[in-house]
Amino acid sequence: MRARNRAFATLALLLAISRPAAAADRGTAALTAARDIWGIIQQLRGDHEAQDGPRPGQAPAAHPQPMPPAGPSDLTIDLSDLSRPAAIESRFAPLNRLAESQIRVTVPNGQARLGNYSVGSDQTVRGHLLVVRGDADIYGRVQGNLVALDGNVTVHPGAVIAGDVLVVHGVARVVDGGVVDGEIRTLSAAVPAAAAGAPVSALALTVRRLAGLAGVAMTLAFLGLGLATFGHHNLEIVSDTVSHSFGRAFVTGLLGQVLLLPTFGMVVVGLVLSVAGILLLPFAVVAYVLLAVIAIVGGYLAVAHAMGETYVRRRMARGVTMGAPSSYRFLTTGLVATLALWAAWALFGWVPVAGDLIRGAAILVTWLLGTAGFGAALLSRAGLRENFAGRIIPPEALTDEYLWATPQFGVPAVRRPGGARSPIGGP
Amino acid sequence: MSRLALAFALFAPVTAAAQTTRDFTTSRQLHGESRLEARVAYEAGSLRIVPSAAGDLYRMHVTYDSDRFAPVSAFDAAAGVARLGLESVGTGFRVSSRRRVEQSGFLALSSRVALSLALELGAGDGDIELGGLQLTRLRLSTGASRTTVRFSRPNSSRCERADLSAGAADISLLALGNARCQLVRFDGGVGTTLLDLTGAWPADARLDVHLAIGALTLRIPRGLGVRLTVDRFLSSFSSGGWTRQGKVYLSPGYARASRHIDLALATAFGGVDVEWVN
Repeated sequence: MRARNRAFATLALLLAISRPAAAADRGTAALTAARDIWGIIQQLRGDHEAQDGPRPGQAPAAHPQPMPPAGPSDLTIDLSDLSRPAAIESRFAPLNRLAESQIRVTVPNGQARLGNYSVGSDQTVRGHLLVVRGDADIYGRVQGNLVALDGNVTVHPGAVIAGDVLVVHGVARVVDGGVVDGEIRTLSAAVPAAAAGAPVSALALTVRRLAGLAGVAMTLAFLGLGLATFGHHNLEIVSDTVSHSFGRAFVTGLLGQVLLLPTFGMVVVGLVLSVAGILLLPFAVVAYVLLAVIAIVGGYLAVAHAMGETYVRRRMARGVTMGAPSSYRFLTTGLVATLALWAAWALFGWVPVAGDLIRGAAILVTWLLGTAGFGAALLSRAGLRENFAGRIIPPEALTDEYLWATPQFGVPAVRRPGGARSPIGGP
Repeated sequence: MSRLALAFALFAPVTAAAQTTRDFTTSRQLHGESRLEARVAYEAGSLRIVPSAAGDLYRMHVTYDSDRFAPVSAFDAAAGVARLGLESVGTGFRVSSRRRVEQSGFLALSSRVALSLALELGAGDGDIELGGLQLTRLRLSTGASRTTVRFSRPNSSRCERADLSAGAADISLLALGNARCQLVRFDGGVGTTLLDLTGAWPADARLDVHLAIGALTLRIPRGLGVRLTVDRFLSSFSSGGWTRQGKVYLSPGYARASRHIDLALATAFGGVDVEWVN
């Protein structure tokens, strides 16, 4: 049996090694599947094969000895209810820090042993039995619950355990003919999942985040390029709306976020309630989601455009040569500015506390800008309406004064008497 | 010294928030029991249930995320009730992706005892094989899950009734005839449902199906006499192959069929398709 186990283990190991590095995910999935299958085989077979040496998470075996009587300040563990194995295990936690000679445990209505322990076929243990840092081999009778911590339990033919068996950080094996009246439970040691919790160096983490940030930046730049090329007018109007009506755009964006889902629900219900609407439902759902994404991403790009435009024009006003003030330049500059905080997080995110603060700030700022952009896109109807973009002449500027006010100079059709005083003619 | 510190800082391992998995196994030997009431609550992850003819009343193995879940295993010998599964620990609401909740469970139930099974599945996948068990009562409720319940072999005893409910789920009930239930009730929320009425029906039976939003597929063997009553609201129903008598639809050869199923179907939004199989 043991040889067969080794053959299975070797096969699993070879499978794992033969996987190419690029297929790490698939390899992990295959290993997980192999582990599950092996676990099922073990379950169906009805036993757990005891292994030589300590299992993962298992403390090394102690020298066999009865546990000295515990003092009032030592650990007392009630073994009468084993239905919550994790809770029982947590009660044992203080023992992990103790040396062999320091371990003291009191078991009400039972006894505790340190190291390997065997109950002979003519022996009866009255009450519960706790075996710490050792294997329990039962040939006789245990008239209570049996718990093994950091060890294995084997119930041999003819042995009877009147209560439950709990093995923490070990395996239980009931040979044919062994009887356990209660439940047989095993709880393994905690193992961090390889896929999710593998320790990563700060350098690798930084490189990974920078790569992700570069990918996001390139995607946004590509989308911005397309927007500036094919929707230049709309982009400028949304951008101007952000610049001239930032507060109004932000509030609108905030309301838009709140109403996004209810509106979607109303659209769906409205369509479902009409016979023709049911047919349109899939298209409406796709169109709604698409429009929402376009409004959010487009709005964010418009904010970047507005930021870039402001920066570039200020620099140019100071006489700095920056090339042509095009939308492409505005977008590029703005994207660099909006992603600067994320770049800081990518570089210093591994620093305790500060990393979390930077990330929080980046999330907050991105949300603020995205909300304002979304609101501007809504206010300007995706760049079709210029009311909030500062392009409409204010009412006070609308005057008909120019129709009747005759300028004194510069109108050649009028000649005033006394041409000698004319500024054109001159003296 | 500062270079050393910088190098240490850069290459020191940073432990991300990790899922800590543990294995838990529980089993109970058969000691002359004749019946078992199994209450299985499995909140997240994939679960597989199979019948077992071995000498165990039940046997469960779970690999679970110990940060968020804890195994449940308790048996009341006097009442013959076993409570098994995984329950969430801690408080608060946490959203996790499917990828992050990598839990799996395996449960073998004895086919030697009369079994009343109450099964609650949360989020995850369920592969439930109940064929060959001595099922007397079945209650199944699923949340957001993809569940397949099959009766590959006939139930060894008569099932009084089966109550099945699904939330936002994709559920398939295969070979329902082998369940040998006199009454099957299904309440579906949102999702797709497959009711496969193949299998060895021991007697006439009744099926009550309520479906809110989603698609329902009825797989009906041609030799089975099905009397269908449809109560639908904005739902499509393909009546091809049926003989209509007022508000009732009769399957082909209904009068000649040796077994008759009375199927009451109520749907709100969605579609009902029928697959006729030989």
